[in-house]
Amino acid sequence: MRPFTWLAPDTTEEAVALLREHGSGARVIAGGQSLLLAMKERTVGPSHLVSLGGITGLAGVTTEPDGALVVGAATTYAALTRAALRGWHGVLSDVAGDLADRPVRNRGTIGGALCAADPRFDVPAFAVGVDAVLRISGAGGDRTLPAGEFLLGNGLTAIGQDEILTAVVLPPPATWDAVVFEKFRHRVFDAAIVSATCALRRGSGATPAAVRVTVAGATATPVVLAVDAGATGAHAGEVAAASVLPDATDEPTRYRRELVRTLVRRTVDRARTQQGSA
Amino acid sequence: MQKVCLTVNGREVSAEIDERTLLLEFVRDVAGLTGTHNGCLEARCGCCVIEVDGDVVKSCNVLAVQVDGAEVTTIEGLAPQRLAPVDHITTQSLAGMYRPLEAVRGTPDDLHPVQAAFHRCHAVQCGFCTPGMVMVLKDYLEENPEPTRDDVRRAIAGNLCRCTGYQHIVDAAMEAAAELRGDPAPEGAAHGATAAADGG
Repeated sequence: MRPFTWLAPDTTEEAVALLREHGSGARVIAGGQSLLLAMKERTVGPSHLVSLGGITGLAGVTTEPDGALVVGAATTYAALTRAALRGWHGVLSDVAGDLADRPVRNRGTIGGALCAADPRFDVPAFAVGVDAVLRISGAGGDRTLPAGEFLLGNGLTAIGQDEILTAVVLPPPATWDAVVFEKFRHRVFDAAIVSATCALRRGSGATPAAVRVTVAGATATPVVLAVDAGATGAHAGEVAAASVLPDATDEPTRYRRELVRTLVRRTVDRARTQQGSA
Repeated sequence: MQKVCLTVNGREVSAEIDERTLLLEFVRDVAGLTGTHNGCLEARCGCCVIEVDGDVVKSCNVLAVQVDGAEVTTIEGLAPQRLAPVDHITTQSLAGMYRPLEAVRGTPDDLHPVQAAFHRCHAVQCGFCTPGMVMVLKDYLEENPEPTRDDVRRAIAGNLCRCTGYQHIVDAAMEAAAELRGDPAPEGAAHGATAAADGG
């Protein structure tokens, strides 16, 4: 690990000021489960670490008057797993409780997963899948950004050097009638090779009013597919396989394409079943 | 340099340390408790698991400065009487340490029930992964008193053991769970009897 200066501010404003003061060498650290691995390998070597650990109010889950769920960026996976979330918001608890392993879930944070922007991580995939909005604080004031516009590539996000991700906002429960997340990995603690999310809003008849299908892991950022609201799981799977990885010439890509096809089929079928029974 | 003060197994330990010091290094080198093992240093093997403010963490992937002021429990903290330092190891002191298997039942002044079950079920071969396994299982069983064998396997997914094939570790976890629930102890420590067919 390269030497660094440890900075532990008490408020988000102080943290932003420190990031601005120390420029591009400064990095934010929350749980550190991704950042410390990279620092030990010396793939990153920040000159200053600005810790979010001492800032109160960054961890925890609250509900807005309209029902939107505000998840503080420093909320750990373990805290999310224990949180009693209603309706499809509860899927976030399931996602958070079924990744990495028990000790890692006690340190890893939802904001850290988004800022690490690893294509294989579940939380960014889920955030794009349900069309979550991110709250960002910076020297120039606060702003919000849809999760889909926040993620720019493998390890790349739209966050500025002197900005901090403060919360992830899931839309109100009424936005979706069914949300299903599926992923594939070889061992339970592995990151997903491919994951798929299907968020569905019920229509007046058997056909849903809206279906949002998102595929992650196969590409650098999650892909939201143009799937017809009435499409069956099998049809959605075909569309997904053809559009996410159109040129599957080598075996690893073909493998991923099969996973995309299968996981999309399953999520859409399960979501359609759930909306029928809801 | 940064001043860090931790309460390790009830004892205050403070030191001026390099910011890069991992919690693992603090526990081993500053607090002098070498029961916490340095395995992979990349948060995979789980040999370094300890409890910080009641939550298990992989101490090789946490900076000591991140948890300044925290209450830390290591494997040494599970069995209080083992904290007395042994200055000179003799046959007598070893004989006092190892008692008949039946006697090791996990009473408050003896081993923790998970440790005792590991002992009885022979869930230890080389022992390198054992501290982490025990810490994770203790934490898991406190929250989930009635696990299935499959649940236990998932709970220790982040702990690698290269000797046992996990079979005896799962046996021990199931026995410890029964003991923590207060179920009557099986006659003659019937470990292995629960090792039903889960395919190894």
